[in-house]
Amino acid sequence: MTNIGIYICHCGTNIAGMIDVEELARKAAKLKDVSVVKDYRYLCSDPGQDLIKEDIRSMDLDRVVVAACSPRMHESTYRKVLSEAGINPFLLEIANIREQASWVHSEKEKTTEKAFDLVRIAVAKVKKDESLESLPADVIQRVLVIGAGIAGIQTSLDIANIGYEVVLVEKEQSIGGRMSQLGKTFPTLDCSACILTPRMVEVSTNPKIRLHTYSEVEEISGFIGNFHAKIRKKSRGLNPDLCTGCGECTARCPTKVPGEYDEGMGKRKAIYTLFPQAVPNVPVIDRANCVYITKGKCGICKKVCPAGAIDYELGDEIVEEEVGAVVVASGFDPFDPTSKEELGYGRYKNVITGLQLERLLHTAGPTKGEVIRPSDGAVPKRIAFVQCVGSRDEHANKYCSRVCCMHAIKNALLIKEHHPDAEIFIYYIDIRAFGKGYEEFYKRTQEHGIKFMRGRVAEIFEENNGNVVVRADDTLLGMVMENEVDMAVLSVGMVPRSDSAKIQKLLGIATGSDGFFMEAHAKLRPVETLVDGVFLAGTAQGPKDIPDTVAQAKGAASSALGVISHKVLELSPLISEVDERLCRGCGDCKDICEYGAIELITLDSRNAARINPALCKGCGACTVACCNGSIKLRNFTDTATFAMLEAVLGGEA
Amino acid sequence: MQQVKRWLVIEMKSMLVIGGGIAGIQSALDLADRGFHVYLVEREPSIGGHMALLDKTFPTNDCSMCILAPKMNECNAHPDIDILSYSEVAGLSGEAGDFSARVMRRARYVNEDKCTGCGECRARCPSKVPNEYNSNLDTRKAIFLPYPQAVPRVMTIDKDHCIYLTKGKCGVCRKVCSAGAVDYEQEDTFVDLDVAAVIVSTGFELFDPSQMPEYGYGRYANVITAMQYERMICASGPTSGHLETSPAKQHPEKIAFIQCVGSRDMQHNPYCCSVCCMHAVKESILAKEHYDESQSYIFYTDLRATGKGFEEYTARAEKDYGVQYIRSRPGQITEDAGTKKLTVWYDDTVNRKVKGLEVDMAVLCTCLVPAKGGEKLAKILGIEIDESGFFENMDELTSPLDSKRSGIFIAGYCQSPKDIPESVAQGSGAAARAAEVGSA
Repeated sequence: MTNIGIYICHCGTNIAGMIDVEELARKAAKLKDVSVVKDYRYLCSDPGQDLIKEDIRSMDLDRVVVAACSPRMHESTYRKVLSEAGINPFLLEIANIREQASWVHSEKEKTTEKAFDLVRIAVAKVKKDESLESLPADVIQRVLVIGAGIAGIQTSLDIANIGYEVVLVEKEQSIGGRMSQLGKTFPTLDCSACILTPRMVEVSTNPKIRLHTYSEVEEISGFIGNFHAKIRKKSRGLNPDLCTGCGECTARCPTKVPGEYDEGMGKRKAIYTLFPQAVPNVPVIDRANCVYITKGKCGICKKVCPAGAIDYELGDEIVEEEVGAVVVASGFDPFDPTSKEELGYGRYKNVITGLQLERLLHTAGPTKGEVIRPSDGAVPKRIAFVQCVGSRDEHANKYCSRVCCMHAIKNALLIKEHHPDAEIFIYYIDIRAFGKGYEEFYKRTQEHGIKFMRGRVAEIFEENNGNVVVRADDTLLGMVMENEVDMAVLSVGMVPRSDSAKIQKLLGIATGSDGFFMEAHAKLRPVETLVDGVFLAGTAQGPKDIPDTVAQAKGAASSALGVISHKVLELSPLISEVDERLCRGCGDCKDICEYGAIELITLDSRNAARINPALCKGCGACTVACCNGSIKLRNFTDTATFAMLEAVLGGEA
Repeated sequence: MQQVKRWLVIEMKSMLVIGGGIAGIQSALDLADRGFHVYLVEREPSIGGHMALLDKTFPTNDCSMCILAPKMNECNAHPDIDILSYSEVAGLSGEAGDFSARVMRRARYVNEDKCTGCGECRARCPSKVPNEYNSNLDTRKAIFLPYPQAVPRVMTIDKDHCIYLTKGKCGVCRKVCSAGAVDYEQEDTFVDLDVAAVIVSTGFELFDPSQMPEYGYGRYANVITAMQYERMICASGPTSGHLETSPAKQHPEKIAFIQCVGSRDMQHNPYCCSVCCMHAVKESILAKEHYDESQSYIFYTDLRATGKGFEEYTARAEKDYGVQYIRSRPGQITEDAGTKKLTVWYDDTVNRKVKGLEVDMAVLCTCLVPAKGGEKLAKILGIEIDESGFFENMDELTSPLDSKRSGIFIAGYCQSPKDIPESVAQGSGAAARAAEVGSA
């Protein structure tokens, strides 16, 4: 015998304002097999939950329908209620009368009718629901962190310090990321390397962290608690175990090419490390520019290496790792301003980017901290900063990159400290000094005589002497102004890392319209993704500054630990299952499955589909693809669907 | 949704979280899910903090309570979380890994174990007082629940306004309580808790704009704060989601939002509170959604739309909701004594003219300042606060969540101005740091 209870939530006036809940309750009470109907102001509150529990116990209810908000909000709350009251949590249906009725309609009578339809559909379905049990799955207590900038470093250290193992993969030859390129950081003007390098060393010496540098993740399979990763360790052209990092090879290498790490402002050798404090301190042979590899001549580095580490023939190596959770901390790329032709980057020598200026200002950079302009090496006396290049721009990226205001202000202040007579102009739309101590820092810069010009730069053009003229609409004077300066610095925004599409595919995570990885919920799940067991840290999720990145990285560590600190996870039983006796083994389901959850097995010398319960998300695509109905999605069977249709089309449920 | 089973290998240590807003809730849940026992201490009768008072949240316009309430309930239902509401930390001794915290449990004159939250007492209580949870826009009783979704759902008697407690008469609530939960004899009690680490997440309160007489708050009926606006536009608020001007009781057609009231201001608070720009954009979108004929003006210094999706949100407000952004910091607001309409006087920095704009309602987007009592708490805990009242961290770049005392961590607005996602991320981050101490 079926004994159903229906509970209708007012949600304050959210539901009760547009639905006549008393009328709805009256109608619902007449449905077959319904023993009790109650309405309540806030069902999700404790007394609301207690009301349901009490009825289940005292009236022997065996199934429950809750007419309230979307199941995304409180399905788990009410499942727990059923469980605690002693009945199977899957004998519950939610009729979403808020998002699907009261919030989207404006005629009370008709909305009430529709709400009743939703309720009787739910009643029809709940009668067909079966009791289900969660599935246990073992957890590998280790985390894979992709990217070893400050975010990845922080996440790894936080996890390792609690005592769990970390596999840290970095694409570049050294860890450190973008932060290692910076000289000083705002607003404290701390030396970036002084705070970063101790952490880098900590990573390399922590026995719980297995570091793969100059490596890329090529393949990830599996599911929460049980991921399997294939990692390609690219050949450095030398044996890292033998190399002592003495630097003799780099010193003697005859080839010089523009250095990527210096943003093209300086030169590096064909065998090189990124910077003196690189971790690991092992060079890489740039195969595209090495004279021996391209022309078969030279071989100097091999001759001078006292450790005999150089091996031009050394190939890539594939390593495999098993982990329970993944944290993506792949960082950002600076926006390439070449596409903003009006600003002349790439055509005019004295138009550089903010990151290039950063390298010039860096005491360990190509000019040892001296700001000179590229065309003639002169010290620029008049400098213009152009904000929002590629950001807040309909033609490039609509979003704000969040750090460029403070970055420009910091660099302007540093130049002013070196050269008090320098004249500095910052062209801005809004000055976004929003972080701790930022507004105060901005104020201080103004007191140093740096001029803030409110207006977007329309064009930059070059004079014969190499100077550039910045043309902008000064919105405070209401005039178009031209300003000849010695050098213009473009404050370029952040864009998703060039290989982020590859990482997205590897993990099956989503990206937003801005191209950054999407978090599971903008407000309350900022470090999770919609793929269970995969988390985000740092600028891979969206532009942010260093403190926000560090805080978020700690959050990602905490969330990943939430998975791997358990030895067993319980997986949702709402998944598809195959009736192997009926299955013809055609494989259509395998092709359509987005999650790689289906494989074909041989069963009594014929093919049949089998579903991996840990990978199946219960989307139901396979049930539709199946040609003879041998796959069923638990509690979403054809029988249930027909019953639901009948309830709403055929009148009485 | 997957449910994670707890796995207790060894007896786990306990943690103290001070402040039950969204940051503290997140810390508590993260720690409890990892098997630690958490004491969540909240000064107010209910956890939830300021997020519980918001209508919608930017930039997704999610209903705030709809996403917060499940977390509040999860805290309540979690076997490893003890909520100590209406309580304050009174002392702390020991060191990281082995603290002893003394918590004062203020007398709520209602037995928490007996009260069912039925509300009969409240219905019959004769004493009405301004309702601080609705920004004093309506009244509550002397025995009250802050809001319907309050956690724990237990009544509290406001002893300053209870007639029985002040004058020895009345006693109606005790008479009508069928659970026998009302206890006028209750006294403040102290409990000592052994904890491995402490997370401080005490949040913020709002700057009082009556300190800026030029805007007429408190004198002009139609000058309100952004929080009052938030409560009015909230369907479960005192006006059931209706904006009304005074005394005409009409929907406002023209609404001015004044940014940076008490922030970025050397006379009050020098810092930017980082959320008010977006808050005003959201409120102006809501105004248009409620009243199609309404027109919003946002008077801003710099429009700081810095978070994910924020720039797109402000653009949408302008394009689809007709919000007008005016770059200016108004000098004064005046009132027409007859119509009670307001004129916002401002320097139009684009046209370089002083102008006046007549509006029906002016909303002051006030600064968020660190919650009161921060100085006292800092002394009790032995941590430091900066000149603006935020708790100091070890290093803003590398240890943003570590206070200057080992084993004590800080998260959320009390650490520095921030929005909800940043508070949640920090709440989780502080939990990771606390767990490190607890696992040592």
